Amino acid sequence: MRRWRTLPTLAALGLAIAACTTPATSPAQSAGGDASAAPSDPGTATGGTVRIGMKGYPDSLNPGNGVLSESYIMYELVYDAPLSVTADGEYVPELATDWEVSEDGLTWTMTIRDDVVFHDGEPLTAEDVAFTMQLYKDTEAFPFLPSYVSSFETIEATDATTVTLTTAEPYAAFEPAMVFVYVLPKHIWEGVDDPVEFANDEMIGSGPFKLNEASQGEFVDLATNADYWGTAANIDGVIFQVIENDDARVTALTSGQVDAISDVPDTAIPGLQNAENVKVHIADVAAGGSLSDIFFNVTADEDCPEDDGSGNPAVCSGHPALKDVEVRRALAHATDKEQLLTVGTGGLGSVGLSLVPPGLGDFYGSEITDYAYDVAAANALLDDAGYEDTNGDGIRECLADQDCDDLTMRLNYPNDSTSGPRESDLLKSMWSEVGVNLVVQPLDPDTLTSVCCPTFDFDVIMWGWGSDPDPAFLLGVALCSEIDSGFSETGYCNPDFDALYDAQSVETDVPTRVDLIHQMQQILIDDVPYIIPYYYPDTGAWRTDTFTGWLETDPTLGLQDASNLTVLRPAE
Amino acid sequence: MSGRGMFLVRKLGWALLTLAVVVTFNFLLFRVLPGDPAKSGMRDPRLNPQAVEALRERFGLDKPVLLNLEGGNPLDTQFTAYLGALARGDLGTSYAFRDQQVSDMIGHALVNTLWLILPAEVLAVVIGIGLGLFAAWRRGKPADVAALTFSLFMWALPIFFLGIILLIVGVNWFGLPIGGRITIGGQFESFWDLAVDVGRHLLLPTLTLALALIGEYMLIMRSSVLEVFGEDYILTARAKGLSTYGVIRHHALRNAMLPMVTLIALTLGFTVAGAIQVEAVFSWPGLGALTVNAVSDRDYPVLQGAFLLLAVAVVLANLAAELVYGWLDPRVSVE
Repeated sequence: MRRWRTLPTLAALGLAIAACTTPATSPAQSAGGDASAAPSDPGTATGGTVRIGMKGYPDSLNPGNGVLSESYIMYELVYDAPLSVTADGEYVPELATDWEVSEDGLTWTMTIRDDVVFHDGEPLTAEDVAFTMQLYKDTEAFPFLPSYVSSFETIEATDATTVTLTTAEPYAAFEPAMVFVYVLPKHIWEGVDDPVEFANDEMIGSGPFKLNEASQGEFVDLATNADYWGTAANIDGVIFQVIENDDARVTALTSGQVDAISDVPDTAIPGLQNAENVKVHIADVAAGGSLSDIFFNVTADEDCPEDDGSGNPAVCSGHPALKDVEVRRALAHATDKEQLLTVGTGGLGSVGLSLVPPGLGDFYGSEITDYAYDVAAANALLDDAGYEDTNGDGIRECLADQDCDDLTMRLNYPNDSTSGPRESDLLKSMWSEVGVNLVVQPLDPDTLTSVCCPTFDFDVIMWGWGSDPDPAFLLGVALCSEIDSGFSETGYCNPDFDALYDAQSVETDVPTRVDLIHQMQQILIDDVPYIIPYYYPDTGAWRTDTFTGWLETDPTLGLQDASNLTVLRPAE
Repeated sequence: MSGRGMFLVRKLGWALLTLAVVVTFNFLLFRVLPGDPAKSGMRDPRLNPQAVEALRERFGLDKPVLLNLEGGNPLDTQFTAYLGALARGDLGTSYAFRDQQVSDMIGHALVNTLWLILPAEVLAVVIGIGLGLFAAWRRGKPADVAALTFSLFMWALPIFFLGIILLIVGVNWFGLPIGGRITIGGQFESFWDLAVDVGRHLLLPTLTLALALIGEYMLIMRSSVLEVFGEDYILTARAKGLSTYGVIRHHALRNAMLPMVTLIALTLGFTVAGAIQVEAVFSWPGLGALTVNAVSDRDYPVLQGAFLLLAVAVVLANLAAELVYGWLDPRVSVE
């Protein structure tokens, strides 16, 4: 059902809630294209309800419990956080007008706006911000949010507009973390016994939209918050309607029953591009963004976990030849990423490089050289390393000191991937060109997780990730220390990489940290625990005859983004 | 106790025993599947270990499944906790929707499913039986051939395909809604407007489901009536000079209904689990959609609840069928 292990990707992260926070940037963003192209004057009309057809339903209205990106779309619209991040990866004020760190890097001070009220009319103060952070920190069963605030040793509202935070060591990812602190009203949440079981049906926040009504699996109906402290939206509200079936969602758009749809199926894009009054928006570099990956089981015997999570020792049955970096480099040369991109996304995304997607701005290692698609080079690498096809069956034999016959490997992929069968066929034929034989078996995502990590009972897996706004999060999958936890999918361990990771996590100077992150990507390219075939596009489509002002000039923006919804106006 | 009373008691006893077996089987079935619900309920393996541990404890997954052999109370297990909660009418909390009670989720979805199923069933039963009778009566004539062709075609057609075709035609040609139960956020002037809106939403999914069921009902009804028509007592009735209507009404219909009752009871029981494919096509938030998502999320509590409901529905429908049998054919309850 769910595509990949999706997490709050930046696209869902109200990138430019900035647009409504700081009115100055909002017209500027939409004016970017208007100034030169000036497609049409958006006009001054207000009102109307935008209907958006989406594939899934939020798994929780309680920000602590959310896992799906649909949930984070709602949080971004209904709640405010101290900071926000723009499409360029810049952190801008939202509830916090100012934030600074002490000389020693251990004390952060945020100044909170004094003109914010919750949807129920109660004022929002620094007290609410501190309460929220403490709540997220204390509630360990919340899946993701605790990790953003767990570094703070003390969290304190020193007066009505100041929050003071202390950490044990310098905290480099302070700003990205503050994007996820959806500030909850203390007067409601302090009476909640068990925050995990709290359904939060009222969803009282301070954001640009407030909850009208929600029905599980069906719809979320949001009304514009006319008293918003930033710029209130021009429309009356927005309704997110769940239309799970792809064909039905597309028909809903073409027949005018919804004004926009997200998750446009690749196959429907040509048709929609020719449809009347419909605009297809393809963010080929999705902000934040998700990526496809091919990863190898390279777990060394001494790193094999003693507990696979269910009390048994891990299996660690990775193909011995995959532990040889020359084999992995050859496979990287043998992989035509362009073709995989075409099959996987209809050519709409962009060719992949590393675990840091280009949507993360400067952190993306744009200067790093990838392995070219070069079958001859791949064959030469394998020849030089001594892998020869001695019995003439087209498959290279293992080396004498390896506990295997030939380079026949298992390839698994999740069976909920629609392009998986074709991509795996393609990969099998590409790798057969260099004498590597793949035995393909799709598995359901949960079984795949259980053979993957930390069991390490596989050779090669083709899967994907959704990125966090901070690059450190996803780079963490390659840490030695994460092998036992199951976060590492490869069993890869390189102490140099770990040392760089530790250094960047306390580096508060951004350019220095960018450099460290680039070095880490270079190591992963050199060692090839991962091949990243491509980055997914973010697709959306909307009607041009019902509302105007969609931010189509921004190549990275998701259409449900708050910045989009606040500038829309009904078509005249 | 009279024969009829004993019959009732015996049937009820069997129904209860079946349910007890189902409850146990349900519990074990999901736990032999590979996968870890504490993680997969989250659909994301990169949860921090503290959160996984906290969730496992919260769900009771840190306890042994059937028997506690590691010391302490041997009955302190997941199974006893499940039975205990079930006895209190508590189906637990969903793993995937961690702030939602399973009973609320299932209750909500059940109402939506019945909303869709009942009109479709009534339509299908009335039309299917009528058409089957009609075809049997006109056996071999063009009307029979037409009805038979129609029914075979509908029966053979995959229901999701029929749904998509009806959806595209209905939406593009007749302006019907794409799915859902009602216009979301709609403001209705009067009750009449509301009823029209609901009717328009119900039309396509009901039609899809009814068409698929009509084919099956018609075929069974036709063959069952034809079989009865061959009986001697029908010949006798005809010889007595009864009209065709009289023969059907007083002699054929009641006997021909026996297999129909079984069939209707069976389908009714199973469709309560949700017309999965129809719900998927028409974005109908019913039990089918809930169950499908729960399977992919390893959401044990929701699955256990949904399967329990399905089992209860099938058992009840069968019980009802047995009782109706007894009424249609008094020999059944005496034997």
